[in-house]
Amino acid sequence: MDRRKFLQQTTAATALATVGGISFASFAKKKKHITILHTNDTHSHVEPFEPTHHRNPNKGGVAKRATLIEQIRKENPNTLLLDAGDIFQGTPYFNYFGGELEFKLMSMLKYDLATLGNHDFDNSIEGLYKQLPHAKFNFVSANYDFKNTVLDTHVKPYQIFVKDGIKIGVFGLGIELEGLVHPNMYKETKYLDPLEITQDMTRILKEEQQCDLIICLSHLGYHYRNNSTLISDLKLAKATKNIDLIIGGHTHTFLPKPTVVKNSDNQNMLVNQVGCYGINLGRIDFYFDEEKNVTTGGKSIIV
Amino acid sequence: MLHYFKRISLIFCISLLVLSCKKEPYIITKITAKTIAIDTTIAAENSITKTIAPYKKQLLKEINTVLSYTSKNLVRTDGDLESSLGNLLADLSYQKANPIFKKMTQQNIDFALFNYGGIRAGINKGKVTNKHAFELMPFENRYVVVELSGEKIEELITYLIQENIAHPLSKQVQLTITKNGFELQINGQKFNRNKSYHVLTTDYLQSGGDRMNFFKNPLKKYNLDYKMRDAIVDYFKSVDTLQSKLDGRFKKN
Repeated sequence: MDRRKFLQQTTAATALATVGGISFASFAKKKKHITILHTNDTHSHVEPFEPTHHRNPNKGGVAKRATLIEQIRKENPNTLLLDAGDIFQGTPYFNYFGGELEFKLMSMLKYDLATLGNHDFDNSIEGLYKQLPHAKFNFVSANYDFKNTVLDTHVKPYQIFVKDGIKIGVFGLGIELEGLVHPNMYKETKYLDPLEITQDMTRILKEEQQCDLIICLSHLGYHYRNNSTLISDLKLAKATKNIDLIIGGHTHTFLPKPTVVKNSDNQNMLVNQVGCYGINLGRIDFYFDEEKNVTTGGKSIIV
Repeated sequence: MLHYFKRISLIFCISLLVLSCKKEPYIITKITAKTIAIDTTIAAENSITKTIAPYKKQLLKEINTVLSYTSKNLVRTDGDLESSLGNLLADLSYQKANPIFKKMTQQNIDFALFNYGGIRAGINKGKVTNKHAFELMPFENRYVVVELSGEKIEELITYLIQENIAHPLSKQVQLTITKNGFELQINGQKFNRNKSYHVLTTDYLQSGGDRMNFFKNPLKKYNLDYKMRDAIVDYFKSVDTLQSKLDGRFKKN
């Protein structure tokens, strides 16, 4: 709460200081371009798969991902790099070093933000906490209540970025841990209903914070064909409004392109997921114009 | 008069503040997307490779640490209804888990059952390392003990007979498929369907993995908070040479 007030006050002060320039800036009619890069379920796959691997020979590898991300950042400096969870577990690098290397490398790649997957609790919530100093990026989760755990205050519900004057709000959602993770591991982490929390988050980010772009980093899973009661990214997308993009994880779904979904406001939005193990990097480019310059309604989605 | 001006300018300031607070909204006009494969067309960033290197070196050292030795290949395919590797896995699990369960409940585990598909790799003749333990058990499965009714044990046996493959079963079980059905002894005692039994398995199988549905909804369930891979490593460290043979614990007459 205090943090939000602080943010509002800061914004007001900055705007006041530059008030003389406003009319000049508005003549510029500057179009804006934001690039979102994302991964999910990298599962400690630090190195590429072996050339002899039966499914993914030579695929993936953090060093190659770094090169690609750097190229894209050169092309557009207004880029955010996000991860949708399950950074941990899957190669002996995790078993021997507890996630230290994964976080160090992600920091070198200048990840901006991540959410938590169920496997990120595999060394218990203390095991995750212990590795946080190696992460030079933040974690967001709006529906895990960490109040009675070591992660209290270390994980925020959302984070706001301003890139080239575009305000981007990103909030996190985690999957129900019961049944997936041993209770000794997640301790007193409370799971809150993702749908209800999303309604709060979109209200805060859209109405209070007036974000131009709202992204949900989700580890709920893309879709559960055999269980219609389970919440998933597709369900959440249809049942809510004001989210522009859900970046998903957990189900290791290799989407050839993002799914366009009509939200509860009958607006098109995107759900994406790029498989697992760092085999792919997702890239989504958003182009903006000032509201007064936009004559035709609607946006063109070319995917 | 001065007062009046002060007031005006204050109002002006406030209204300016409110106006400037309301930021000019931007509208999304176009979205494009693509999924980019990380493959051999992309060069590796040197600083990342350099950061990984010392970890990799230590990992290789750790992973190649010799824990034990085997004088023969241990595989899951050297018998019909049992295997050298399956027997080893089930028996070492019982041996490592029973003391924990006993401390917890003052009772003994009756037997252990896992799945054939869960044995992910064999161990070749020679030195046995951490790598073998990881390849044998790459998952983070933990031991659980379930108390099953006699009826559920019958379901379990029916499943084993129908499956007709070498699911890892510990040596406390003596199961023979006969013309008329089966003969079953547990810990040298004839199976009693009015009695309940404590069975060791993993959390994965207990939740219905590999269609072992008899493990669901047990009379009681105990989480041992002990990973199967950790037990394998602990056991390998504790013996000079791995010993395992086919002993006819599950056979057809």
